[in-house]
Amino acid sequence: MSIRRLPETLVNRIAAGEVVERPAAALKELVENAIDAGASRISVRIAEGGISRLEVEDDGCGMTAADMALALERHATSKLPDDAIEDVTTLGFRGEALPSIASVARLTLDSRVAGGDGWRRVVDNGAVVAEGPAALSHGTRVLVEDLFARVPARRKFLRSARSEYAACLDVVKRLAMARPDVGFVVEHDGRRVLDVQGGQDQLSRVAALTQRDLAANSIGVDLDRGGVHIGGVISLPTYNRGIADHQYLFVNGRPVKDRLLVGALRGAYADLLARDRHPVVALFLDVPGGEVDVNVHPAKTEVRFRDPQLIRGMIVGGLRRALDEHGFRSVQRPAEAALAAWQQEPVAPAAPAPTLFAAHYPHPHAPATHLFGADTDPATHALVRDRTVDFAPPRDALPIGRAEAATAPVPHADAHPLGIARGQIAKTYIVAEAEDGLVIVDQHAAHERLVLEQLRRGMSGQAVPSQGLLLPEVVELDEPACDRLEAAAAQLMALGVELERFGPAAVMVRATPAMLGAIDCHKLVTDIADDLAGYDAALGLNERLELVAATMACHGSVRAGRTLSVAEMNALLRTMEITPHSGQCNHGRPTWVKLAMDDVEKLFGRK
Amino acid sequence: MKATIERAVLLKSLGHVQSVVERRNTIPILSNVLIEADSTGQLKLMATDLDLQVVETIAAKVETAGTTTVSAHTLFEIARKLPEGAEVSLAAAEGKMQVKAGRSNFNLPTLPRDDFPVIAEGDLPTNFELPVAELIQIIDKTRFAISTEETRYYLNGIFLHVAEDASGPVLKAAATDGHRLARYTVTRPDGAASMPDVIVPRKCVTEIRKLLDEAEGNVEISLSASKVRFQLGNAILTSKLIDGTFPDYSRVIPTANDKLLKVDPKSLYQGVDRVSTIASEKTRAVKVGLDKDRITLSVTSPENGTAAEEVAAAYDSDMMEIGFNARYLSDILGQVDGDSVELHLADANAPTLIRESEKSPALYVLMPMRV
Repeated sequence: MSIRRLPETLVNRIAAGEVVERPAAALKELVENAIDAGASRISVRIAEGGISRLEVEDDGCGMTAADMALALERHATSKLPDDAIEDVTTLGFRGEALPSIASVARLTLDSRVAGGDGWRRVVDNGAVVAEGPAALSHGTRVLVEDLFARVPARRKFLRSARSEYAACLDVVKRLAMARPDVGFVVEHDGRRVLDVQGGQDQLSRVAALTQRDLAANSIGVDLDRGGVHIGGVISLPTYNRGIADHQYLFVNGRPVKDRLLVGALRGAYADLLARDRHPVVALFLDVPGGEVDVNVHPAKTEVRFRDPQLIRGMIVGGLRRALDEHGFRSVQRPAEAALAAWQQEPVAPAAPAPTLFAAHYPHPHAPATHLFGADTDPATHALVRDRTVDFAPPRDALPIGRAEAATAPVPHADAHPLGIARGQIAKTYIVAEAEDGLVIVDQHAAHERLVLEQLRRGMSGQAVPSQGLLLPEVVELDEPACDRLEAAAAQLMALGVELERFGPAAVMVRATPAMLGAIDCHKLVTDIADDLAGYDAALGLNERLELVAATMACHGSVRAGRTLSVAEMNALLRTMEITPHSGQCNHGRPTWVKLAMDDVEKLFGRK
Repeated sequence: MKATIERAVLLKSLGHVQSVVERRNTIPILSNVLIEADSTGQLKLMATDLDLQVVETIAAKVETAGTTTVSAHTLFEIARKLPEGAEVSLAAAEGKMQVKAGRSNFNLPTLPRDDFPVIAEGDLPTNFELPVAELIQIIDKTRFAISTEETRYYLNGIFLHVAEDASGPVLKAAATDGHRLARYTVTRPDGAASMPDVIVPRKCVTEIRKLLDEAEGNVEISLSASKVRFQLGNAILTSKLIDGTFPDYSRVIPTANDKLLKVDPKSLYQGVDRVSTIASEKTRAVKVGLDKDRITLSVTSPENGTAAEEVAAAYDSDMMEIGFNARYLSDILGQVDGDSVELHLADANAPTLIRESEKSPALYVLMPMRV
């Protein structure tokens, strides 16, 4: 059998295997091209999950007819003007995408540069079938039809149209998140599923693409160090999700998937979140081009950092600092869930009574307050309002808490974000009046956090006491794990674990943290080795020590069911205001919720 | 089966056997006690958790011989609540057992005796006797150091082995949890010369210790490599042994510790107890500063402040400072009966040897803590 050079079309088809493995991958390349072309608005139309039709239209710089012919050749690109592949500033640079897509689908390329004439070129599975003038406004339109029609093997491996569509949407969302200055429209089977305007700021763009209420429950991150910049939005610890799907990392505007982010997030949110909850995060990392290698994989979803430790340290440090600054905030969403739980009496006799009960409302998620808004009979509404006004107490009347002689003047609520304690209910919750609403505090959860922070302040800066082992324990592990443990020995020593290398595939443990008591050495060391492999840091060990501290904090704090005096309650509220992370207890539950005055008024039909 | 028995006798025996029975069982019959009445006027009570089995024989008026099993905890509670001096009659028939005493009448469900598991003792080639007082010493001086951590199961018991010492043949008992070691040595009893090395599990130690409180004279011990049997008075306790290898603990007993500290164990114990009031619950680290003829105990806690106490002692080596877990230290000091204890130290990271004197049968090794 003689060796022969493969024809161009076959080479393209082979390349397509790497770049275009599903419609979403093709879409990613096309949208990236549109962004690189300097478009200010990009519209995407998908049919059948992109399998039968994918269309991307932009108002970017466009191409001339000669460029168009070249663009469909392999390794032809306008994005590397000089040969500096280490310093790529555009999203694409390989010059493979268009010919690869054209080799496995029917591709129609329409383009016009501003001031020039429009041109069209149609390629069907690698062969040019039509060419001629076209009418369009400046920019480029790429239409991909019948993807993989002639590659049945690949077509078979596509999932359902539904999941291909989900993947397409995710791709556009990620790119849209990276570029809030560009407007994006996505239509699927004629239905508009995504529409974001250009010129948004990052926070509102991220919120628009993830969850609307993120905007009110997030913290901005902004950190500069050594030419590296981290910006973005992270959710408050109490605003979390059960799966880690809403976590986005962008490096130089390029959406990437990196396990570095996962580890760094766990480190930053350690002890603020339960282990199975995940924050919502969109982080934008700006790194000098030479510090990062994007040419790792044709799909360009992975990157390599020259100094991953620095990047990880920055993410953890930046997030931690942002979280510290907003320590006492907790999630602000009682309005939807809490208001729906309030029992409401039917106040208007003309209204259909049963549906007015929140509990009977067919949509449990709909806030009960909407019922009043939906009340279309202005007469009844007015009647109710008139009546209630008579009974409304004067607004400045002092609510009475517990019957205690006031020895000091009652402080003003406006000076304190968490308000002034007015009383205690069920011997568990403190009710406080803040300037703008009603604050309910879970006394045990709140105090638990305060005690933990106090313990932690005491522990920081001290070496962790370690108990020597009478019989040093030999733990057998594979060799790379032992290498990692050996390299981290000094760091582990500070955390109370003393170990040394014992032959090629074992370590000998000489001491363990005294706080952990009698523990299973094997498991401890194996877990540490796993953490070192996964996150380059002994997160788990720290977590274990923190857990002991948290348990101590739990036992050393005010229990639910204890009666507190007003002075005690106020002291607790004041301490919470100045303690970091007091918005959630050690297990990630909120310590306080606020019912805004507006919500209270809505409950009584005043708004 | 039908038998009558005095309440006090029944209660005492049930007290011995019922503690073997686990509170919660997946096999129902393991919650039961086997009661066997024979025509010679003996009532045999037997309970097991599959690893440990206690049989106690008591005298009773037997009308009809027979065997049944009934819930151990229930029967024990009934016996406990019956009035003192009551005569208890036990009558079993057709899946029920009637317990009558005075005007009280109970009907308890029974399970057939054939299902009751009995530990097969097999051949127990080694037989010897130990005085009750000596066995009590062996257990008391070592049991506190038994590990509770399940992964190193071979440390969850007391290790017994025979050896030749300078003073002649001895039987040694040792226990360790990896942080401290306790060892007690007695002269080798007759018949123990060919004894295999065995590890007696913690639960067996606890149960035998309870029985020893009421026993007198000698305990007959029979064992093989996998089972041990203790016979004392009218009770027989049979237990499986831990199938594992106890580490070679003699290596960790330091022999070259040159710094000798002599101190009154009571005052050191009380001093440690006092300063550790400050120590945080989890670490309980106490620092011991040694100076000429004087030691300073100190504890520093970020939350609770500091404490220090000086204790008079005899010490004539270089000054040094060493940390210990306060609980470990007091556990050991609490076992010292005399009015002087020797601590042999090397440095702040090396194991410390603690014993009353060179002659004393008990010896302890404690690993320091880095604080």
